[in-house]
Amino acid sequence: MIEHAYLIPLIPFAASLIMMFGAKEDPHSPVAWIGIGAMTICLGLSVSILAAAAGGQIPLPYEHNWHWFSFAASIGGKSFLYDMPIGVLIDGPAAVLLVVVTLVSLMVQIYSVAYMHEDTRYKRYFAFVSFFTASMLGLVVSSNILVGFMSWELMGLSSYLLIGFWFEKDGPTEAQKKAFMTTKLGDSGLYLALLFIFAKVGSFQITQIHQFINNGYMTGTVATVIAIGILFGAMGKSAQFPLFIWLPDAMEGPTPGSALIHAATMVAAGIFVVARLYFIFLAAPDAMLVAAWIGCITAFMAAAMALVSYDIKRVLAFSTVSQLGFMMCALGVGGYTSGLFHLTTHAFFKALLFLGAGSVIHSVHTNDMRLMGGLSKKMPITFVTMGAAILAIAGIPGTSGYYSKDMILANIYYANQPIFWIMLGTALMTAFYMSRLFILTFWGDDRDHEKHHHAHESPFLITGPLVLLAFLSLVSGYMLNRDDLVYRLLAKPTISAQAPAGHAPVHAEAASADAHAAPALSAAAAEHAEGGAHHEGHLPHWLHLALPFLVLGSIGLAFTLYKGPRYALADGLKSTFAPAFHLLDRRWFLDDAFDLLVVFCDKVAAVAFWIDANVVDRVFVDGWGLLTRVFAEISNLIDALFVDRTVDGFGGLSLDLGVGLRGLVKEGQVQEYLMYVAIAFSLAATLILTR
Amino acid sequence: MNMLTVVTFAPLLGALIILCLPKEKVKAIQTVAFIFAGISMIASLAMLPGFDRGTPDMQFIERYAWIPSFGVQYFMGVDGLSFPLVLLTTFMCVIGLIASLGIENRVKEYFFWFLVLEVGMIGVFCALDLILFYVFWELTLVPMYFLIGVWGGPRKEFAAIKFFLYTLTGSVFMLLAILALYFAGTAPHTFDMLELAKMTGGWSKNFQILVFLGLYFGMAIKIPAFPFHTWLPLAHVEAPTPISVILAAVLLKMGVYGLLRICLSLTPVGFQWFLPALVVIAVINIVYGALCAMAQTDMKKMVAYSSVNHMGYCLLGIAGMTTAGFTGAVFQMLSHGIITGALFLLVGVIYDRAHTRDISAFGGLAVKLPVFAGLMSLTAFASLGLPGLAGFIGEFLCFLGAFQTWKLAAAISVLGIIATAAFFLRMLQKVFLGKLNEKWADLPDMTTRELVSVVPLAILTVLFGVYPKWPLDLMNKTIEHMLGK
Repeated sequence: MIEHAYLIPLIPFAASLIMMFGAKEDPHSPVAWIGIGAMTICLGLSVSILAAAAGGQIPLPYEHNWHWFSFAASIGGKSFLYDMPIGVLIDGPAAVLLVVVTLVSLMVQIYSVAYMHEDTRYKRYFAFVSFFTASMLGLVVSSNILVGFMSWELMGLSSYLLIGFWFEKDGPTEAQKKAFMTTKLGDSGLYLALLFIFAKVGSFQITQIHQFINNGYMTGTVATVIAIGILFGAMGKSAQFPLFIWLPDAMEGPTPGSALIHAATMVAAGIFVVARLYFIFLAAPDAMLVAAWIGCITAFMAAAMALVSYDIKRVLAFSTVSQLGFMMCALGVGGYTSGLFHLTTHAFFKALLFLGAGSVIHSVHTNDMRLMGGLSKKMPITFVTMGAAILAIAGIPGTSGYYSKDMILANIYYANQPIFWIMLGTALMTAFYMSRLFILTFWGDDRDHEKHHHAHESPFLITGPLVLLAFLSLVSGYMLNRDDLVYRLLAKPTISAQAPAGHAPVHAEAASADAHAAPALSAAAAEHAEGGAHHEGHLPHWLHLALPFLVLGSIGLAFTLYKGPRYALADGLKSTFAPAFHLLDRRWFLDDAFDLLVVFCDKVAAVAFWIDANVVDRVFVDGWGLLTRVFAEISNLIDALFVDRTVDGFGGLSLDLGVGLRGLVKEGQVQEYLMYVAIAFSLAATLILTR
Repeated sequence: MNMLTVVTFAPLLGALIILCLPKEKVKAIQTVAFIFAGISMIASLAMLPGFDRGTPDMQFIERYAWIPSFGVQYFMGVDGLSFPLVLLTTFMCVIGLIASLGIENRVKEYFFWFLVLEVGMIGVFCALDLILFYVFWELTLVPMYFLIGVWGGPRKEFAAIKFFLYTLTGSVFMLLAILALYFAGTAPHTFDMLELAKMTGGWSKNFQILVFLGLYFGMAIKIPAFPFHTWLPLAHVEAPTPISVILAAVLLKMGVYGLLRICLSLTPVGFQWFLPALVVIAVINIVYGALCAMAQTDMKKMVAYSSVNHMGYCLLGIAGMTTAGFTGAVFQMLSHGIITGALFLLVGVIYDRAHTRDISAFGGLAVKLPVFAGLMSLTAFASLGLPGLAGFIGEFLCFLGAFQTWKLAAAISVLGIIATAAFFLRMLQKVFLGKLNEKWADLPDMTTRELVSVVPLAILTVLFGVYPKWPLDLMNKTIEHMLGK
């Protein structure tokens, strides 16, 4: 099966083209099933690859390349033709993510059949979703970071199209532009990293870059610069501080589209790319530390914003940002396995949360949680499935989120204590704001009778995917954690020792420092690293036991504050801490800063254009004319003063010149005369015209 | 068979025939123009199978004595550097002719000048003799002057004379430099580029610098490189749509081509000496050009300034002095020609309907004109360098080549990419998205003629972006040998 892995991105891509150009726009057309069928095939392929990999039938990583194009390159003054490969590289994380992406995308598409059934741009929506998924799959499978980058950028385009899907309104068009520009800002870092990699390695192939680092050819400084560049790209796509501003606005798109962006594609891309090129980070401890802190700050800031928002989708968006912060932080402290594990589990429960929120919005026609309440009776399936997701994201023992978040916290605990305590607080905030969302939406009595009266449970096409995702949210953590499957599939890559031992980045590295001495990828080293990782995968016993109670405590706090129709207690707190609430409500003023930046850029542009029109143009066009005139005047003056007196002298000279010229010009050569005429004419014309 | 002569002079024959036709026979004139531009294009395409991709040498050489006593020859030939540009020229001229079908005023003269212009442009890319090159180079000037000055917009006369004088000044210095090269060569004196290139070792550094500056001055104005670019926005805005297309797609390329073909090979020391300045100019072109484009409200002027930005990528690639950078520059010339050509055509489409190009005058057109909106979005994204479309490959290779030599300059230039994205997205948003401006409620979508001119460019944009092998294979061998001698 794995030899056909290249089909996984190509099938949905073809499906999107067929839907876009082969079908008519009709809200009742069966066109959506083309995309769904394509994604089902991809899911089948992905599952079979993952199953075979998990069962050990096929050795990973699997790589196969084809020739794409070649261009002349030169490194160190030596020219050669570089053959750009295009191909697939399936390692453990890729195999896992393939299943996650195809599964979530499939669920989203089935759900969308019901959700989008009234929309006038029905086929376009499904074409965009397929294209989006195809771009993400392309990134996941590609063996070449340039191809990966291309998919990455196409994902930027897809998000642009999907966020601005309802482009008649101003909100979506602003949001789509913001998303594209912010991620593009991040992409510039990745772009430079790619250039740097090629300048050093002379290849874009991931395995060759890994080999290059293993050979110790890359210095720590270079690795750090490259890693920071990659990190910057990931900060854009995976919505890390300070580039996360685009993600909360991205909910202007259709809700299932948001589920796709927040769970399977786009935001997962940044984390995945950091993991894919993790060997560069391993060679760059400083960059890892930066990643850890960025993740930590992001997780905390976003969770804080989620505490005060009343917009159900916005709370979910902030929670995505916060969870991505957890993953980035995990990768930063060396928790490769835990970061990717959380990426997987998060995909299931976040997709579920967004789809559930969509089901609610579909039913009550508002995003404002203050107008909801008491929906548990009207929408029992949505209520129960969302409840499962809340348990998972809060980290209740046994659910998927519990396993992955616990592992992340353990990794951080052994690596960096200050970050650990912040992240622990953030984890508790997560439990709090998610319970708050749940209570405000479903619990107690209705707050808006009109809306409540019209509320109804969604059709099967919507609830079906919810149920499946709820199942996965509950059990996927356990399944992956069983028999240490997650350690085998998501085994941390190793690099041969090249940095001095004292330079070991973080505690996690030190634990398996002797593994570095062994040659990379050798069985012994891999086993050893695994052993080390096991040790880090568990919190100290007392913390391990205390954590669930802390989580339950914060859930209880949410109940105390928000139960009942008026939640007076919460409002009281709000007025007490008004400045803090204002700060969070204004999203840390980061959006205002972004707006200022835009205004500033426009100002700079206006100044540049003013200079162009009034300085450059004047100096180099009008100035040129002026100079010519000055020359002419001077030559006139010289003419009047000197030349007239020397005419006699020149007379003789020109006679000589004439004779010389006649000697040059042989008789009968008409074209030569023409040539002279042409040259003389152009010179004369220049002089006359510029005067 | 002298293929290059056919390719180059078929349009001239067409022009002469048009001169003999009565000016009322509009259809006949158009037909003749199409036939001869078509012959030129088909002949250039017919050279494709015979073009040897495995050799860096000149091919399809034609050499005759022209002015023997001065060593001036009719010496034509193409290699991997010039052949793609010849193809671009013949192709874009046919596209330009399709767009010219809307010209109703003084049709005969228009098509006459158009075909003469084509001769000059093709000739520049084929000529291997400096005087022949110069003659073709100047030959583009007069038709362009008339094409802007007669068929242009409100300030056409001013734009035309500015263009003419500006480029002519550049040409004079170029001519002086060419003459200097002639006299510097060992006897028998020659204008043969390939022969002169072998003599560079004997020339002093100062001489090379001086000659380089003379040549560069002529090239820089055409490219246009900062600070000689100010004629371009005006000329573009005033020129009729097809002429804007030709101007952007082909004429600007003459400058970059000259830089690679003549400056690099004939004054290598001077070129090397100038590199630090060239990279600064490239960065200014990229960042400053993009900023100026950002400040525009006129779509056509915005696209014109985006050309300044895009030609900056070519300069950046060249300044890197790496083969990847050269490849990028040549590829960028092709992709810019196709993409910006399409952009100008599309701006023309909206101007023909609305008689305004003000970005803020529109809004929500995507609902009424979906095909137009789709094509415009495609070309705008191609122009801002979206992977999968032609613009990305050229741009990326330019950066790749430059980064090896000038890390900081490449890093700063990335700002230009961001700014480019900013102004194109803003244009798309203001013109196509949001609430439909009721004023344009009954604007018709694109006509067949407009589609015929734009769609081939759109297809090539996608094709070159997804499968750049085809154009790259044409140029690889030549470029591989451009540095190592």
